[in-house]
Amino acid sequence: MVFCTGCSCLCPDIRIENGRVYNACRKGSSIFNEKKRAKPTVNGKETDIETAIERAAEILSSGNVAIYGLDTIPIEAQKLAIGLAEELEAYIDDNSSFCLGDFVEMILRGEIPSTTLDDVKNNAYVIFYWGTDPYNSLSRHLSLYTYYPRGGKRQRGYEEDRFLVVADIRKSHTAKLAKKNARFIRVDDDLKLVESFIQAMEGKAPQYPDVARVLSEMKKGYSVIFGGLGLKYGLNGRYEEFTEMFRRLNEITEVYFIPSGFHSNMRGFNELLFEKTGYINRYSFKEGVSKAEFEFSRLLIEEKIDSALIIGSDPVNSLPFEVSRKLGEINTVVVDPLNSLTSMIADVVIPSALTPIGQGGTMMRSDGVRVKVEPLREEEWTDVKVLTSLKEMV
Amino acid sequence: MKFGKFIKRAVIEVVIARNSHQGEVADNKLSEKFREESAVIYLHPNFAKKMGFREGDVVVLERNERKVNVRVRYSETSPEEGGMMPNSIFSNYLTDNLKGFTASISPAGGELSRVEDIIKKI
Repeated sequence: MVFCTGCSCLCPDIRIENGRVYNACRKGSSIFNEKKRAKPTVNGKETDIETAIERAAEILSSGNVAIYGLDTIPIEAQKLAIGLAEELEAYIDDNSSFCLGDFVEMILRGEIPSTTLDDVKNNAYVIFYWGTDPYNSLSRHLSLYTYYPRGGKRQRGYEEDRFLVVADIRKSHTAKLAKKNARFIRVDDDLKLVESFIQAMEGKAPQYPDVARVLSEMKKGYSVIFGGLGLKYGLNGRYEEFTEMFRRLNEITEVYFIPSGFHSNMRGFNELLFEKTGYINRYSFKEGVSKAEFEFSRLLIEEKIDSALIIGSDPVNSLPFEVSRKLGEINTVVVDPLNSLTSMIADVVIPSALTPIGQGGTMMRSDGVRVKVEPLREEEWTDVKVLTSLKEMV
Repeated sequence: MKFGKFIKRAVIEVVIARNSHQGEVADNKLSEKFREESAVIYLHPNFAKKMGFREGDVVVLERNERKVNVRVRYSETSPEEGGMMPNSIFSNYLTDNLKGFTASISPAGGELSRVEDIIKKI
């Protein structure tokens, strides 16, 4: 059995026999297929990896530098990247600054109670997906950890022993599963849904009428809310109401929160940086503080950096075009096992190993549980080796 | 390919979401499959029919003088009065944020936009 690193579920039960992949979802299977690997390049010309690293070190040794990405590489490599940022007095940021980092931070600061997916499997009655479509983004979340499995106190199957709630702006694939013993709430205003819970707890008629039924189910015991990007953007930074809702829910029943979404090791990076600096992202080692304006996108748009090291991410594909356009104007070093779109505009490309194909390491699930990923084979240029070499040269 | 006889141009809200089909080919973003799974707008069938867009039509989405040609696919998981696109270079060419954007939609015909053409503009 090997771990899949396709998303933050980090499914532990992948089998590969005679080239066939068993148990993985569509996205996970693609991790294990043969791929065209990136080649080391400098200014678009193929070279050897040592030359590429040397040129990268030159680029990163002067001016204002940002290190960005980091969410798909092992914790051991993330640690080195944080060390490199410290040495360079650079900015460091990951996808969590526009993804679910705010929720991870609330958990780490103890502002909302959280739990583990193993406890969810064994105990949870109400499974509440809010602004997230795990059917697509975390395809085995429901079958491996939350809704479908039988375990612990939940032995009678989802038809009787789970109550599914899906709140979304649209009837997503996950929402379509909300049939028997379930509710789909079509949300046009997430803050109103938060208020509805508070209204229902105060005995008033909630603005979203379905909340009264959901609350009565939550009162039966262990409930978990899985929040995604739809919830984050819907709350629009007004987290006080959200944390207040949790506080009051937990006065009358037992309700936990786990972020739902993100890359395979985003939480690993957030926790590492939090342990070192007290912040989870958007950090400047020069100023010793995290600020909204240190978000990677803003650093580029506001022309605050001269060069960037991109590792474990493909911002040209995943961030707004204006950000990519600005990235194209600065010196960019990409460390990636594959030919990403960002590598097409990079000054230097350094190929690395893909987890778990050619490198192993520690990864952290969305619920904060660490897992040790064993590689299928050991490749020479792992993220750890690339970053160690870079660190020695800058 | 002919279009329906109803609306020829409309302004719609587009939600950006994740899609497991697209995730499957994320390791080769220059492939034809990635383009087919990413240069796509999912419309609710009732909404699409009302506007005169048929499944498979190529339409142009336009916002702030930027244009992307994408294929219409029907999905009941789309907003009932809007569209949904997977997060990729195609949706990001039009948006300022990762939640969604407002764009005009009209018939285009011809080819889907290409990743390489957007990269050239960087």
